[in-house]
Amino acid sequence: MTDRLENMALVMPGLLLLGLAFILPVLQMLVLSVSGPDGFTLEHFTRFLSDSYYLGILWRTVRLSALITLITALIGFPLAYIMAKSGPRLRLWLTLIVILPLMTSVVIRTFGWIVLLGRSGMIPSMLRDLGLVGRSFSIIQTESAIVIGMVQVLLPFMTLSVLGVVMSIDGRLEEAARTMGCSFMKTIRTVVLPLSLPGIVAGGLLVFTLSASSFVTPSLLGGSRIQVLAGSIYNAVTQTLEWEFAAAQAVILFVGVALVLVPYLSVTGRRNG
Amino acid sequence: MVSGTPIWARYFAVIFIVCTALFLLAPLFVVMGVSVSESQFISFPPQGFTLHWYEKVLSSDAYVNAAWTSLWIALTVTIAASLIGGAAAIALNRRSLPASGLMSAALLSPLVLPTIIYAIGMLLLWSAIFGPISPLALAIGHTVIALPYVVRTCLAVLADTDPFLEEAARTMGAGRLQRLAFVVLPQIKPGLLAGGFFAFNISFDEAVLSLFLRKPGLTTLPVQIYGQLEFSPDPSVAAVSTMMIGLTIVLLIIIDRTLGLGKIASV
Repeated sequence: MTDRLENMALVMPGLLLLGLAFILPVLQMLVLSVSGPDGFTLEHFTRFLSDSYYLGILWRTVRLSALITLITALIGFPLAYIMAKSGPRLRLWLTLIVILPLMTSVVIRTFGWIVLLGRSGMIPSMLRDLGLVGRSFSIIQTESAIVIGMVQVLLPFMTLSVLGVVMSIDGRLEEAARTMGCSFMKTIRTVVLPLSLPGIVAGGLLVFTLSASSFVTPSLLGGSRIQVLAGSIYNAVTQTLEWEFAAAQAVILFVGVALVLVPYLSVTGRRNG
Repeated sequence: MVSGTPIWARYFAVIFIVCTALFLLAPLFVVMGVSVSESQFISFPPQGFTLHWYEKVLSSDAYVNAAWTSLWIALTVTIAASLIGGAAAIALNRRSLPASGLMSAALLSPLVLPTIIYAIGMLLLWSAIFGPISPLALAIGHTVIALPYVVRTCLAVLADTDPFLEEAARTMGAGRLQRLAFVVLPQIKPGLLAGGFFAFNISFDEAVLSLFLRKPGLTTLPVQIYGQLEFSPDPSVAAVSTMMIGLTIVLLIIIDRTLGLGKIASV
């Protein structure tokens, strides 16, 4: 047995699993999305793209994902920068605070937000008591609830992505900028931010795809009235049992995600390579 | 902090960190609080203190069965993903295979494809070939999602090891299996352990695949919780969630001991 044979034997089970249980199912989905009773058809796609209800779902998905991405970037960049500038002990604690929610089931985190944002939940009651909002004010089952919940779910991805880049910035560059008379804010704006951009872009693309493809948090916090694309796929699979239509919607999501993922992979690839 | 950080920036940093930490941890604290509340309804802040909801969970067939299902699937996934992913990482780390870059990209690809797209594909393919969904379908699906994490942690650990140790063992006459068992395995062990615990956590907490690949009698804990949340939850949902958070904390501590948290962040 040669070395190459040994290595092939080691890597083969993984490749077989990937081929049979990952690539094949995705291909099956692609095939089913264009299958009708009489063979090839595009009717599932035309049904989606010609119905203003579904186009509205698509637009809401894109709009909310963009907003969620923007907010995670606005919180994630300062958080990662502060983490990078902290001492090792504090950084470890902050890492723990970022990773613990990440490793907790998304169902449980959403449950927490249902309690906080619900009709008689803590946050609406507090706002009502402070007189900031009217009696009938409600957050749950609005798009705001989805955004709040999703930002909490996805912030760790953005933070870790930016942290990796910020940690590798040479601290002397900032010192040099300060010595040359730059203010603190100007140093951040002209030195740190541009150098962190690859991490922010990579994190943003990742957050956008994850956000566009999630349905657990949106359907529990937004309710059935505020539908997003992934929730519509889930309904077509479990409620109306229109699997071909679900597959077609998944392909639409897939194409959208691919448009975002190609730049993502080239950004992260450049960084690692 | 960099010397010369203005004082207002330091204050801002402190306030910002406290607010963000609160925001990130709030849902978890709330769930824990609800789980010990005496109120019959889900409410926060909790009223009084009781362990009644924990008793209710432990005596509920639905939750206990779901917990066993989750546990069995997670254990299967842990073993399968560690064996398959560890072996692949060993081969990829040697970099002698043709197209090893392409292979590692393939092995990591489930990481970038949204789970919902994979879940619907898996449901369609399994139904077309084997008919009704079985626990095996779910275990295979979870193994595919968990595999990249095992491969990445193992590759990260192997990157820091000395490749010449294996060469030395070979020169001293150790056979292939001996080298794998006595040189490579000890080298990869921390990665394998951490990756395995990751795999367990992913499978145990995963909701999307489990929601698509479900049928009566095949309900994991996250699916059970999701179902309760859609209808009329009582604080026992919070109790079972708190137990799952506790398990996650235990797993995090173990992963920190085997690999180090700083390293996870970069994986």
